[in-house]
Amino acid sequence: MTENPLHKFFQAKSMAIFGASASKGKPGFVIAENFINNFDGKTILVNHKGGEILGQPVHKTLEEVEGPVDAATIIVPAKYVPAAMEECAKKGVKSVTIISGGFKEIGEEGIQLQQRIDTIAIENDIRIIGPNCIGLFYPKRGLDMVFLPEEKLKRPTEGGVSILSQSGAFGSAFLDIMGSLGNGNYLSKFVSFGNASDINEADILEYFGEDPETKIILIYLEGFKDGRRFIEIARKVSLKKPIIAIKANRTEAGAQAVASHTASLAANDDVTDALFKEAGIIRAYTWDDLFDCMVAFNNTLLPKGNQVLVITDGGGAGVMASDAIGSLGLELADLSPEIEKKMKEDLPPYFSVANPIDLTGSATAKEYLYALEQTINDPAVDAIAYIIIPTPPAINVKELMDGLKPYAKSVNKTITFCAIGGKEAFYIREELEQMNFPFFPTPARSVYGIDKLTEYADYLRAHGQELPVIRETPK
Amino acid sequence: MADTKNIPEPFATAYNEGRSFLLEHEALKVFESVGIIFPPNMLTKNADEAVTFAKKIGYPVVIKAMSPKILHKSDYKAVIIGIDSDEALKNQFNDMDSRLKKYDLVGILVEKQVKKGTEILIGMNIDPTFGPVVAFGIGGILVEAIGDVSFRACPTTKQRALRLISEIKTQKMLNGFRGLPPVDRDALAEMIVKVSQLAIDLDKYIKEIDLNPVIANEDGVFGVDARIILKELE
Repeated sequence: MTENPLHKFFQAKSMAIFGASASKGKPGFVIAENFINNFDGKTILVNHKGGEILGQPVHKTLEEVEGPVDAATIIVPAKYVPAAMEECAKKGVKSVTIISGGFKEIGEEGIQLQQRIDTIAIENDIRIIGPNCIGLFYPKRGLDMVFLPEEKLKRPTEGGVSILSQSGAFGSAFLDIMGSLGNGNYLSKFVSFGNASDINEADILEYFGEDPETKIILIYLEGFKDGRRFIEIARKVSLKKPIIAIKANRTEAGAQAVASHTASLAANDDVTDALFKEAGIIRAYTWDDLFDCMVAFNNTLLPKGNQVLVITDGGGAGVMASDAIGSLGLELADLSPEIEKKMKEDLPPYFSVANPIDLTGSATAKEYLYALEQTINDPAVDAIAYIIIPTPPAINVKELMDGLKPYAKSVNKTITFCAIGGKEAFYIREELEQMNFPFFPTPARSVYGIDKLTEYADYLRAHGQELPVIRETPK
Repeated sequence: MADTKNIPEPFATAYNEGRSFLLEHEALKVFESVGIIFPPNMLTKNADEAVTFAKKIGYPVVIKAMSPKILHKSDYKAVIIGIDSDEALKNQFNDMDSRLKKYDLVGILVEKQVKKGTEILIGMNIDPTFGPVVAFGIGGILVEAIGDVSFRACPTTKQRALRLISEIKTQKMLNGFRGLPPVDRDALAEMIVKVSQLAIDLDKYIKEIDLNPVIANEDGVFGVDARIILKELE
């Protein structure tokens, strides 16, 4: 089997940065700074002006650098990119990421420029990511081409999620959110591939599929370079790890004149829906969907069935969660009789021990914890939606959070959390995210998370696969 | 005009005549060659031939006009169903012939009418992103209004086709609606696989396929109306 080209990009021992800049605020400075401060390989700064950046020498050409160079990041203006590519070719650099814009996306002039770099790449056996992208980010090695400074974009730390994004802005905003979520321990690898003049979405998906550090794959796409291969690869990869994808630009293929019923029914987005489903790709339609899926898959377990238990102190929240359970095709679990009996004996009579378990406005932290303790091992329950309204007077939220902490490491069932309200709800969110529990801002979204986990678990079972354990436990 | 000497029949004839589709009796040959089942049928040139064939297969029968100028038969009343006697067949045959002969009729197809059943659509289209896809859904004349179809990439497998069948929304229609027997999912899945394979094997020529309706009844699963739209020759 031939090695996936992404491997050399992520495992490069040395990185040349064309367009490294000494002016703070310029992308060429941010990237140089990222590499100088964090990269565990050799950083080679290149700029025809020479000089130094943060005490590191800047080479006028790549030629004057001694020893081999594995990879390059190019951030010079578009018209100088072919010259930088020529330097890479001479030096034997095989993996080049072109951040610069000003190619195919700007029209005829840019198309010609892109063809020139493609020709150089093909003649010299160079693989390209980009142009017009924000490149790669791999926290484990400090390989960080994201030209947005740390104080503006909080980097996520090492985790199991890998992202491929056609859009740089979408990708970077998502990174910022991941970085700010709990401990931020979410990211394995990030690739933004822009115009995809060479390496495309199918290559990257294949790489993430093979990559043992990647446990969850998130995708943002607007169009396909190689839709058929993407689907073929997804079929194999989805048996090993979840793929969650946004395919935006849903009205992309306009109506064509067609002669058959089939063709008139086959609007492109319906086909995308069907083929994603066939290939085991979980399709997200909105930013919230993608975020909710990431949080659910990364922070809890895959359910063994579709029986959901709701634990709450709010009647309305319980009803809304139940509605979501019904409309998504999940079912409200019936507690095992002996567990139900014990809970009815132990709890005050005005609590409702059914499903939802309603602890009412008289709830305390102790009772919330008791309800979880009793049900977490109930084999009749496949997933729990734990919905806290913190306002009742007797709930001590600190006590409740302290009581949940032991579960952060030991939890053995699918569970999602929701807290509705103001200051105390925000506190609960913060605490649960620190515990790497999946937190959702509404009951419906906490059930949506369970639904997507169930959909994927069902897909794996239907294809004779074991359910992998993905959840990141907190440090 | 493109060179058609290496093109198999019936595609060569269609291209030679400058057509963008196969006539139904030609399409039937293509489908039957891969084992997709249609009711007994024959292209006939006159009423006597039609009656002889109908006697052999038994009534009721359906007749359909085969014309290179008619793609959508319902627009021309080019299909007559429920013909149940020699007499009726003769009359309907001659009436259709006189009404439609100005459209260069190549003959009239006589086909055994199948028993009532669930109407299904199986089709194929070339998606601009994903290439050839096979479609499955509720068929019949309201197919576009109902719009309950789903898709698989071609070629597909029987297991995937079975999942495709269970993916459409109106499962009730498949499970034996209003006294009809439940559809034979196995047979439908096999038909889907065959259509998906045709799309690959004949990808130089075939642009779109419609089998609408396919009728699933107590006797099995039958293609009843078939359409193959051709690609332009390169």
